[in-house]
Amino acid sequence: MQNQVAKEKERQMTRRGFLKMMGGIGLAGITATIAGCSTDPAGGKGWMPQQYQVASSFPVQVKGRVPIDPANPSITRDDKKCVLCGQCVEVCQRVQTVYGYYELPIKNDITCVNCGQCTLWCPTAAITERDDIDKVVKALADKNMHVVVQTAPATRVALGEEFGMAPGTFVEGKQVAALKKLGFDAVFDTNFSADLTIFEEGTELIKRISGQIHEPLPQFTSCCPGWVKFCEYFYPDLLPHMSTCKSPQQMLGALIKTYYAKEKGISPDKIFSVSIMPCTAKKFEAARPEMNSVDKHAKKTELRDVDVILTTRELARLIKSKGIDLNSLQDEKYDSLMGESTSAGLIFGVTGGVMEAAIRSSYFLITKQEPPEALLNLTPIRGLKGCKEAAVDIPGVGTVKVAVVHGLSNARPVLEAVRKKEAPWHFIEFMGCPGGCIGGGGQPRTSLPPSDQVRQARIDSIYNADAHIYAKRKSYENKEVLALYQKFLENPNSHLAHELLHTHYTDRSKLLTVKKDA
Amino acid sequence: MASHAQAQKWSFRITPIRVLLLLLSAVATAIIIYRLVTGLGTVTNLNDEWPWGLWIGFDVLCGVALAGGGYGTALIVHVLHRDYFHPIARSAMLTSLIGYLLVMAGLFLDIGQWFNFWRPFVSWGHSSVLFEVFWCVSCYTTVQILEFGEIATERVGKRFHNIFKAALPVLMIVGIIFPTLHQSSLGALYLLMVDKLYPLWWSPIIFLFFLMSSFFVGPAMICVETTLAGKAYDHWIPIPVLRKLIRISGYAMIVYLVLKIFDLANRGVFNLVFSGTFEANMFLIEMIFGIIIPIFICFSNFSASRSGLFTFGLLVSLGVVLNRMNVVITGMIRSTGVSYVPSLAEFTVSAGLVAMGVLAYCFIVENFRILEHEEHHGHAA
Amino acid sequence: MSKGVLVDLTKCVGCGSCTVACKLYNDTKWDEKQPTVGPNVKLSDKNWTVVKFHEVKDKEGRPVWRFVKQQCFHCKEPACASACFAKAFQKTKEGPVIYYPHLCVGCRYCMVACPFNVPKYEWEKPFPLVTKCMMCSNKVAKGEAPACVSVCPAGVFKYGDREELLKEAKAIIAKDPKYVKHIFGEQEVGGTEWIYISDIPFEQLGFKTNVTKRPLPSYTAAYMHATPYVGIAWGVVLTGLYHYTKRRNQIAKENNKNIKA
Repeated sequence: MQNQVAKEKERQMTRRGFLKMMGGIGLAGITATIAGCSTDPAGGKGWMPQQYQVASSFPVQVKGRVPIDPANPSITRDDKKCVLCGQCVEVCQRVQTVYGYYELPIKNDITCVNCGQCTLWCPTAAITERDDIDKVVKALADKNMHVVVQTAPATRVALGEEFGMAPGTFVEGKQVAALKKLGFDAVFDTNFSADLTIFEEGTELIKRISGQIHEPLPQFTSCCPGWVKFCEYFYPDLLPHMSTCKSPQQMLGALIKTYYAKEKGISPDKIFSVSIMPCTAKKFEAARPEMNSVDKHAKKTELRDVDVILTTRELARLIKSKGIDLNSLQDEKYDSLMGESTSAGLIFGVTGGVMEAAIRSSYFLITKQEPPEALLNLTPIRGLKGCKEAAVDIPGVGTVKVAVVHGLSNARPVLEAVRKKEAPWHFIEFMGCPGGCIGGGGQPRTSLPPSDQVRQARIDSIYNADAHIYAKRKSYENKEVLALYQKFLENPNSHLAHELLHTHYTDRSKLLTVKKDA
Repeated sequence: MASHAQAQKWSFRITPIRVLLLLLSAVATAIIIYRLVTGLGTVTNLNDEWPWGLWIGFDVLCGVALAGGGYGTALIVHVLHRDYFHPIARSAMLTSLIGYLLVMAGLFLDIGQWFNFWRPFVSWGHSSVLFEVFWCVSCYTTVQILEFGEIATERVGKRFHNIFKAALPVLMIVGIIFPTLHQSSLGALYLLMVDKLYPLWWSPIIFLFFLMSSFFVGPAMICVETTLAGKAYDHWIPIPVLRKLIRISGYAMIVYLVLKIFDLANRGVFNLVFSGTFEANMFLIEMIFGIIIPIFICFSNFSASRSGLFTFGLLVSLGVVLNRMNVVITGMIRSTGVSYVPSLAEFTVSAGLVAMGVLAYCFIVENFRILEHEEHHGHAA
Repeated sequence: MSKGVLVDLTKCVGCGSCTVACKLYNDTKWDEKQPTVGPNVKLSDKNWTVVKFHEVKDKEGRPVWRFVKQQCFHCKEPACASACFAKAFQKTKEGPVIYYPHLCVGCRYCMVACPFNVPKYEWEKPFPLVTKCMMCSNKVAKGEAPACVSVCPAGVFKYGDREELLKEAKAIIAKDPKYVKHIFGEQEVGGTEWIYISDIPFEQLGFKTNVTKRPLPSYTAAYMHATPYVGIAWGVVLTGLYHYTKRRNQIAKENNKNIKA
């Protein structure tokens, strides 16, 4: 019996020993696998952008990035894609002279003119336009909504690039066809309101020159919302120079919910107005509190002149998402009432275009004579030179001196000259983006950084259409604009025109401390 | 007598309450396994604001404090040779052993890299108070197991009994040094939280408060335990023995109270006591019900009755529990900014651990000479 | 001399480059629910540094925006390192307070001990580790600035010898009246390697300013030094008492016997 007990004890011991051993192996295994056999301290071993998957040496060229307000209506950034390459800083500071042109500490604003050039320069597409496609899709699906769309001059020479076409391919008719296919109830052309702008802004210029209104010269164009915000930030003292005209986009927006609504007999609050723009700053412009003249006119509250702005890139995505191939579409025409345009409106899309269109019409409006051929090909203010000048003799007025500036870094010396009263010009065109709207921050992304080659191709396409495709080349020949005045606005700069087509500006200098010696 | 013991069968009575406790233990064991495999986030309500919660507060801090009866009794009986208290020695030390094993279990559950628990044995973070706690608790638990060896070898492995018996004095002394050190160290853990722990509890001598409270809670726990055990096994420790024992507590508590008031006044935070804040009220509850009322019971005739002893024991024990929970949770709420309510799983595991302790106690009492030890001793003497 | 970083909060524009650099260098994962820049950001196991947005009033009462980069301050005498009982946290001579995952037991005493609640835990992992900014100790050991510091486009940071930076900070706040006369990290918890200057009082920017100026480890150092001596002395006393009381009882017993006899 004693033996048996001893044996039993032995067996127990072995069982326990076995369990102990297994436990030991288990623990050792877990320790080795989970803690890893590494005895290194925690923390990085090298620079590791996610696409590389292997730690490398720390890059010397990383430069950080520009700040973007999460509430920015135009642009947004996906941190996951950012590699801190500094291209956004490069374009914002060197090309647009925004970042780095204000003193630190900042006040209660993140200075941004919403131009969107950073979205073109960002190599990983971390910075993009704020995507508003969903709002448009929702409106299109809403049977109660009359969805109206307008397209900017510059989108028709760039949209094709998103569908494999060469830069500068002219897709005006295909774009209209695609929009109709997407279900828009009316497709209008911003060229129309560009022609209208010529009437309004030209009249304003003549009044300034003739002393009918007491505002200073030179007059600045106000079509570009990026430029306008730039001026409001850095040169608020020069805002009286700014034409009071809204941009063509906002003019057409205001007319869609008033003139068009009236003509069609649709309540303005049943109209959803979309603008296809080459521009991210338009998203900011449409959201400006004062862009609610429809609201005031129709005595309805909470009505915006324009509901959504889509960039060219967003339109391309929308078209693709619906399975539409732009290449295979047959050209279609803009809808009438506000679909007619002259090539003077079209060339608003390139740097110098507004000025050239204005000169063509001013000549006629002042002299009541057709402008000479030279004024229809005003080469001194065409092309990609940063600051271009021209002097035009207009009988009865004398020599009108004009300047054209694109890219905000080029605006600064001109503005400084104006400030010092050393500016010889009567009229200056400013465009925020290099090349004008064809190089806008909402246009298809191309080579990095965006090259003049692509810009030039788009510019050539616009001027080719101006010379060869469009039948009319002068704004005053636009029958629908004339009809608009006759039926609705009465005459340029009328009271109603002021209510709907003109605006005022905000001094934004209190939001930042402008650098003195920048 | 030896053959008698061998013939005796292992016994474990099953009662409805024990079934409940077994069930609770089983559920807790399941949660414990789940926690060990899936991590802390899935089971507990702990987060970055509350890295320590119920398991540290109750299972560890309270567990150690309540299990502190063992070393106090050992001090009184085996070092000071107050044989008068011999009847309670074995049961007090058994409670202590089980308490410490549960503390170890609680700690093991709470650490994230549980397979790495042995690391401080080789990687010495000797500047850490926790390092001292770790070593002392480990060593003390070992010592307690060896101490229990003396009892265990009365029944199993009898040939080692004499060795254990001979080693007992040394073990006893070592078994007093370690708890003295780590009871105070558990308080000293909070010395670092000078800007976090509410000033009513944080003190440069918090370790002294922890040590003293762990000392005076010992007899209180013995009162509770002997009352419960008395009911269960009809084994009653004479009232005078217990009364004399809690007198020791009573004196310690008076010193504690005076020291506490002096400390608060000295740091200029005495006015906080009556500031009416949540912390102040919790502090007052802790002091009035856990210290002041028990002192009165202790030195009044009420303590001459079983119910008086039980009330004293319960109040002091709960007072110490409240003190530890106040330090771990109440006193940290303000600096944390968010509140913490333990998850059901946390409560279940804590309760389950206690259930396991009670079951283990019952089993050992029924199979080893814990309670009747003194009678034999008395007869023999 | 230990390395440090001087943070000039007046220069921060809130671009968050530093938080991206941290992710790129330390390969910590992005979490949609836990952004790294904005009003509601928090340090977490994945975000070792965040830039917190604060809308406050300047001295003239005008609303201004300020951004505060948060990360481990790298105390000169870190509470976490003194609290760790397995030496998982260690202070390097170059300045960074670093963490060895293989030594960590996971007790989280460091998290409770840290006066600024910097260490964070990987709660959702089965075998979680503590995480915090390592000040890119690998880079610092090579004499390079931490990743976040080296990518700032606005010149918020200056990396260098901590004592030099402190002198510089003092000169800046003495010269420019816009700064508050306080260098956060100069004295807090005995000094930190990362020091901050600001034009807005620090408490308005979420800094914990009511912390002790004493190094936290000093609170336990004396206690820990005394421990072995107390232990030995206590042992001697107990042994003495044991023998004394035993002998006393024996004598008492013998006396009793004698009397009986």
